[in-house]
Amino acid sequence: LLPMLAALAAGAAEARATSEGQLPGAAAMGTGTPPSPSGTAFEETRLHVFTLDYPHVQIPFEITLWILLASLAKIGFHLYHKLPSIVPESCLLILVGLLLGGIIFGAEEKSPPVMNSDVFFLYLLPPIVLDAGYFMPTRLFFENFGTIFWYAVVGTLWNAIGIGISLYGICQISAFGLTDITLLQNLLFGSLISAVDPVAVLAVFENIHVNEQLYILVFGESLLNDAITVVLYNLFKSFCQMRTIKVIDIFAGIANFFIVGIGGVLIGILLGFVAAFTTRFTHKIRVIEPLFVFLYSYLSYITAEMFHLSGIMAITACAMTMNKYVEENVSQKSYTTIKYFMKMLSSVSETLIFIFMGVSTVGKNHEWNWAFVSFTLLFCLIWRALGVFVLTQIINVFRTIPLTFKDQFIIAYGGLRGAICFSLVFLLPPAVFPRKKLFITAVIVVIFFTVFIQGITIRPLVEFLDVKRSNKKQPAVSEEIYNRFFDHVKTGIEDVCGHWGHNFWRDKFKKFDNKYLRRLLIRENQPKSSIVSLYKKLEIKHAIEMAESGMISKVPSSGSLSEYHEGKIKPLSPTEMENMREILTKNLYQIRHRTMSYNRHSLAADANEKQAKEILIRRRHSLRESLRKTNSLSRERPVLAFIFFFI
Amino acid sequence: LEVSQGAQPPIPSLLSPTVTSEQIEHLHRRFKQLSQDQLTIRKENFDSIPDLEFNPIRGKIVHAFFDKRNLRQESDGLADEINFEDFLTIMSYFRPIEMNMDEEQLDRFRKEKLKFLFHMYDSDHDGKITLQEYRNVVEELLSGNPHLEKESARSIADGAMMEAASICVGQMGPDQVYEGITFEDFLKMWQGIDIETKMHVRFLNMETIAHCY
Repeated sequence: LLPMLAALAAGAAEARATSEGQLPGAAAMGTGTPPSPSGTAFEETRLHVFTLDYPHVQIPFEITLWILLASLAKIGFHLYHKLPSIVPESCLLILVGLLLGGIIFGAEEKSPPVMNSDVFFLYLLPPIVLDAGYFMPTRLFFENFGTIFWYAVVGTLWNAIGIGISLYGICQISAFGLTDITLLQNLLFGSLISAVDPVAVLAVFENIHVNEQLYILVFGESLLNDAITVVLYNLFKSFCQMRTIKVIDIFAGIANFFIVGIGGVLIGILLGFVAAFTTRFTHKIRVIEPLFVFLYSYLSYITAEMFHLSGIMAITACAMTMNKYVEENVSQKSYTTIKYFMKMLSSVSETLIFIFMGVSTVGKNHEWNWAFVSFTLLFCLIWRALGVFVLTQIINVFRTIPLTFKDQFIIAYGGLRGAICFSLVFLLPPAVFPRKKLFITAVIVVIFFTVFIQGITIRPLVEFLDVKRSNKKQPAVSEEIYNRFFDHVKTGIEDVCGHWGHNFWRDKFKKFDNKYLRRLLIRENQPKSSIVSLYKKLEIKHAIEMAESGMISKVPSSGSLSEYHEGKIKPLSPTEMENMREILTKNLYQIRHRTMSYNRHSLAADANEKQAKEILIRRRHSLRESLRKTNSLSRERPVLAFIFFFI
Repeated sequence: LEVSQGAQPPIPSLLSPTVTSEQIEHLHRRFKQLSQDQLTIRKENFDSIPDLEFNPIRGKIVHAFFDKRNLRQESDGLADEINFEDFLTIMSYFRPIEMNMDEEQLDRFRKEKLKFLFHMYDSDHDGKITLQEYRNVVEELLSGNPHLEKESARSIADGAMMEAASICVGQMGPDQVYEGITFEDFLKMWQGIDIETKMHVRFLNMETIAHCY
C-alpha cells in the first residue's frame, strides 16, 4: 500500500502534468491527482530536472500493484505453515480484500471500485478454467460423465427453480416488505445463485484431498453447469424485459440450452484440433510453442462468448482435446513452460478474484432485509441437499458403484458459490431490477457463508466422516502393467458376454485415434505404450543422474540381465556418437508425463526416485557380479554401450 | 449338470442371491450363441468372437475360462470343455459389489477377484509368478506395437520384478534370489488399488445379438 499512498501524496504535492495533460478520472482505483494549473502559452517553463508523470502510467502501474499485493499476501499466508491447512486461502484473500476495501472506503469516503464484470469474465476466469481443464484426469471424467452431466443439468435446474419459487412464496408475505419482487425476478435470482462455482470448489477441494472420484464429481459439475447457468440467466433476464411470454419462448429456451452447451464444446474441440495441428509444424521455432496453447484456448473462450455460448465448456473442451497431442509434439522445455505458466496465471487470477470480491463488498451497494437474506441462505442449503439426495437415488440405479451417503454429503456440502454468481448479480440491469442492491447483499452473504463456513469446516468433516482420501502414490512400472493387463481382461470379458460397456467405446475411440487422428496431428507418430514410456522415463532419468555424477565410467552397461554378448559392442566413430546423442535426447523429449491428481500449487511430483534407483542399483550389482567372472570389458566401451542401449 | 433348452438353468451357489434370474437368462442366451446350441463350450468356440481378436492377452483370457483353479474344483489343470454352470462361475468373478456387504465379505470378494487375476499370470500353475512368466505377460501386452523390440519388453519385465522384490521382500542380500511372486506378495502389491470396484461387468446392458461369425 505504501507505494500507492506515496504516489498519491507526491501526485497531490507536485503534479505538473506534462504531455497530454490527461486528467485521471475517478478511474479504476480511485487515486486521482488534482488537476494542475496550466500556464498560458507565453509563460516559459524552465527545464525540469525531475518530473512525476503518474497519469501516464496509471493503469499498468495500478494493475501491477494489485497483482503484486495479491502475491505478497499469498507469501504472507504460507509463512505460518499451519494456516493454509486450517483456513483455505480463499477466505484469507477475501479478508485481505475486505481490509483493503475498508481502507479505500475510509480514505475516499465513497465506494471502492466494484469488480468489473467484464474484467472478471474476459480476463480473470479463463486462466483458471484452462488450468483445470488441461490437467483434468480425462479417463475418470468420462467414466463418470453421466453422473456429472446429470448433477450439472438437472441439479442446477432443480436448484434454480426450487429456490426461485420458494423465495417468491416468501416475498408474498407482506410483513417482509418484499412484495414488489416478481416471480420472474425471483427465478432469475434463483438461477444465478444456484450455480456451483469452479473457482471456489478448486480453492477448497485442493487442500482436502478427497478421493479422485468425489473430486471429479463436484468439480465436473461446477464446470458443466455453466451451460445451464448461461441459458437460464439469459432466459429469465429476457423474460423479465418482455411484456408477454409465449409457449414458443420456452421451447426456444430449451433449444438454446442445447445450442449453448453443444456449440461451446464443438468450438472447443475444433480449436483444440487446430492447435494440435499447428504444433505439428513448430519444431523449428520451439520458443513460441507455448504461446499457441494459450492463444488457441483463449480464442475458443472468447469465440464462444461472442456467440453467447458457454465459454467455460469451450475452453475446457479445447484444453482436454489439445492436451494429448500437444504433449507429444512440443519439446520437453516447452511442455514444462506451458505447465508452469498456466499454473502461474491461474494462481494469480484466483488470488485477484478473491481479493476483488472482498474489496467490492465494502461500500454502499447494499440493502439489508433480514427475511430475504436469511431465507435465501436457508433455501440454498435445503434445495442443494435435497437435490443431491434425490438425484443420487435416481442415478445410483445406473451406476455400477453406487454413491454412498457419505459421498452424497460431501457433494452437497461441496456446492460452493463464488465469483461467478457475484459477477452475474452485478450485471443485472438496475432499470429492470429496482431491488438490485438487495440481491447483491443476499448473494454476498451466501458466498461468504459457503466460502468461509463451509470452506473451513469441510476439512474436519471429511476427517470425521472418514471419507476416502486420494491415493498419492506415483505410478510404478508394475502398476502400469497391472492396470493395462486389467483393462484388457475387462474388455475381453465384456466381449465374451457380448456386452457393450464403457471399455467398448473407449477401445473404439482409441482405434480411431490411432488410425486417423494421431497420424494427422502428431509429428513423429510412433504408437507408444504408456508402459514403455514410463519405464524409459525412469531409466533415462537415472541415466542422466548417473552420467552427471560421473559414475558411468565405472559401471558396465545395463543391457538385459541374462543375455550379454561381447559381439554387440563395437568402437564407434564421432559422427555415430553424435547420432546417438541426438537419438538419446530425442527420446527424452518424447517422454509422456502423466499427472495423477490435480493440484493448484504444484505440478505432479517426480516419479518415485528411490524405486527407480533401487531397480537400477540391483541390476548393476548383479551385472557387476556376472561380469567380474567373465571379465570381458575394457574401460572405454561401457560408456558407448550404455548409450547404445537406448537406441 | 445338464442344461436343457427351456428350463431354468441352475444357479451355482456362489452367485445367489446377488444375480437376478434375468441376468442368468441373458448369460444363458449368450452361452447358447457361443456354443452353437451345444451343451458345452470348447476353446474353439471363442474364436467366433470378432472383437476378441484384437485383444493382446486373448490367449490368457480364453485360458482362464478353462482353468480348473478358477472353476472351484480342487484339481488342477485345464478342462477341455465347460458347461453353463462353469461359464457362470467365471462370470461371477466380475459381479459388482453390493452396498450391504460387510468388511469380511468385501475382503473375501476382493481376494477372489485377485486370485482370478493371479491365475492368469501364473500360467504353469505352480503358485508363483516367475520372471519368465512375467516377461511373457509383458511381451503379450506390448505385442500390439510392432516398433518395440523384445529387448525393451524384457527389461521392463525385469524392472517390474525388481520392484516387486523390493516391495515384498525389502532389502535383499547380494546372493539372495527372488523366486517369484506368491499370492500373498501379489495381494500386497494391489493393496492401494480398489480392485473390487473396478473389476465388474454390468450384466444387465447386454447386446445378446452381438456379432458372432
